[in-house]
Amino acid sequence: MRKSIRIYLKMVLFVLSLILCGCSGGENRDMETSSENSFEEGGESEISNMKNNNDEKKGDVDKKAVLVVSFGTSYNESREKTIGSIEKKIAEAFPDYDQRRAFTSQTIIDKIAKRDNEKIDNVKEAMEKLIDEGYGSLIVQPTHVMNGEEYDEMKEITKPFEKNFVSIKYGKPLLTSDDDYKDVIDAVAKDIPQLSDKTHAVVFMGHGTNHFANATYSALDYRFKAEEYENAFVGTVEGYPDLEKIKKDLENFKPQKVTLIPLMIVAGDHANNDMAGDEDDSWKTQLKKEGYEVECVLKGLGEYQGIQDMFVAHCKNALQ
Amino acid sequence: MKSLKFNFIMLLILFGIFGLFIGCDSSGDNINKEISGGSLTSKISFTDDDGNEINLDKPAERIISLYSAHTENLYYIGAGEKIIGRHKTCTYPPDAVFAEVFDYNGDPEKVISANPDLVIIRPFIRKKAPDFVKVIESSGIKVVSLYPDKFNKFDDYIKKLAMITGTEENAERLLLKFHKELDDIKSITSEISPKQTLFFESTETNVRTVTSDSMAGIAIETAGGINIAKDAEPLEEGSSIADFGEEKVLMNADKIDVYISQRGSMNSGASKQGISERAGFNIIKALKNGRFFTINEKIISSPTFRYTKGVREIARYLYPEVMNDLSEYKNDNIATRRDFANIIFRYKNIPLFVPSSSSYYETEKKGHTFGLFSDINWNDNDFDAIETSVLAGYVEGVKDNGKEYFYPGNNVTRDELAQTVFVMGDFSSKNKEVEIQDIEDSQHKNIVRILVENGVFELKDGKFEPDRKVSCMEIIKAFEKIDIGRQVW
Repeated sequence: MRKSIRIYLKMVLFVLSLILCGCSGGENRDMETSSENSFEEGGESEISNMKNNNDEKKGDVDKKAVLVVSFGTSYNESREKTIGSIEKKIAEAFPDYDQRRAFTSQTIIDKIAKRDNEKIDNVKEAMEKLIDEGYGSLIVQPTHVMNGEEYDEMKEITKPFEKNFVSIKYGKPLLTSDDDYKDVIDAVAKDIPQLSDKTHAVVFMGHGTNHFANATYSALDYRFKAEEYENAFVGTVEGYPDLEKIKKDLENFKPQKVTLIPLMIVAGDHANNDMAGDEDDSWKTQLKKEGYEVECVLKGLGEYQGIQDMFVAHCKNALQ
Repeated sequence: MKSLKFNFIMLLILFGIFGLFIGCDSSGDNINKEISGGSLTSKISFTDDDGNEINLDKPAERIISLYSAHTENLYYIGAGEKIIGRHKTCTYPPDAVFAEVFDYNGDPEKVISANPDLVIIRPFIRKKAPDFVKVIESSGIKVVSLYPDKFNKFDDYIKKLAMITGTEENAERLLLKFHKELDDIKSITSEISPKQTLFFESTETNVRTVTSDSMAGIAIETAGGINIAKDAEPLEEGSSIADFGEEKVLMNADKIDVYISQRGSMNSGASKQGISERAGFNIIKALKNGRFFTINEKIISSPTFRYTKGVREIARYLYPEVMNDLSEYKNDNIATRRDFANIIFRYKNIPLFVPSSSSYYETEKKGHTFGLFSDINWNDNDFDAIETSVLAGYVEGVKDNGKEYFYPGNNVTRDELAQTVFVMGDFSSKNKEVEIQDIEDSQHKNIVRILVENGVFELKDGKFEPDRKVSCMEIIKAFEKIDIGRQVW
């Protein structure tokens, strides 16, 4: 028995010693590796650089900026009426903040640069410039309709730069909270008299996405009905609800007239072609073929004062 | 006798073996000679546009075409079936899109493993991807580089395509037809007076135009237009793009009857929305009168047989009354759907539909897909009128079992005509109490009600007769009741 206990203890000691040796061996290896690396890579200057990186230079907390991030549009007039108006209202509401513009669409940035010789930053460039200029307090306000792919991508780009600011806050996209849905409905209802005419259907055309945030469109349609706008319908070009769903809704609702309105910040190519275009698959043509009198309102959401005010409010909420 | 036979057989065998040796030897020699000696022993021989001597013993049978104009022209001259591969930009004719895609920015091994006997490129490709071309050439595959940089080199270019595919007769016939079509347009438009003035925008950047000796410049002249930017200088020597600028356009604002913007993948002109948002442009006569048109670069600036379509388009924009002649349809013959599409295309002066990008076929279309009617071939005389009026939403095809049909020989009913008229115009319900006894027989009840209320259609003994076939003249008369009508100028 004793013998077996002795053997057992010896085995435990052996294992323990192995573990201890292993740990210290590991430490040794790590130390060796790091010293080897620092030596090979050039000694002190490299080490001091590493220190700087770890410390992270932060900007001046009193130097404040709002970065307004939009998808962008190459149509100059539309841009000023929509994105430009939102930016202007935010600038008025934040007099202590400098303002910067960034677009997420590189295609649009390149087109404007080539055509108009006007340089618009993408998100990364805008962040780098803000850091270079020493800003320490930043609000990033997107003009996206929802918390979809564009918004996610924007945050992925800004994230590595967050450490360079003392304070960085994000304003929410247009349709985020429950109240946002109600506010959007109130904002557009003010400027769309057709919504009050119950023989008239008002169809909003959104973009649509594979992102799970696509449910935003159905939620807005639901909310319109809850707010007693049973004549309002929300569909999308590239997602669900699609035009076929809208056709079914209209068949049940039996309106005399249909008004098509883009549910997009800017009335650009989608609004002009997919919605109001003269081709066989545009929403206007498809609904006319069904026998509806169709009118198109080529006005982006960004042109509605109420929507502009919502972005200002989202920007303010970011600070709270 | 037997020994004679034996000897004869032996002789034959010996001769055969000797012949085999000679054959092998001489054929090898011949190949070498052809390669080193050039055109003397080759049946097909010319210098391509990269300056290389091309010598082929026989027409190519397995072709990879890496330039859209080559692909188009090969189909026209009857060599389409020889195309086993294409560049992604080769989307016309629609039959071409079924060929495998190859990319000169990609792996040349993909081309080699497809085993073509000829790859057709243009000098631009050799310049942009020299290694890609070299690898293919060093594998023994013949590479021919062609590009007619001037309009007057078009015939020579087509003849070379014909030589390498053995389609000389077709090419000869088509070239005659091509020039006759251009001459016909010119002879019609040269009679017209007064002439219309146009501005042709080739790029949004600096509002550039085209040189007068470019394909588009020649098209303007053939179509009988007065080019306001006729004297514009090329950006650089040999370029077809010329500087003009916003300022000069605005200086001529009251003279520009028609504004045409060239659209395409490279150097695109303004879109309809883009031009409407350009500061100060609303004073231009053409824009005030709704005479702004876009034209796809593929039909106006590319060296293809489709160029005649581009020239005709410009003539249609300039002189719609003349170029959209409807006299052959002013009769009481029962209209076919083919007639219907032609009347719509001409009456409404609809711009010819050309797919806007090479990715057109990559997405599934909710409506009709250009060129995919099983009963209308791309070289049908009425292909353009049918495709364009369907894609403008005025006529519908039928989808059946994954295929699309137009049924060009079918007749047109009053019900169908009513739908077209309603889509063409802007009609509102007059809220009149009109009783239509057979309204239940209509597929488009609301449309018929509104059009009867608006006086576009009359009732016969209280009936609309939705299934009654209409004549060509009835179609024209119904269109005349729509306010939109023909463009007034």
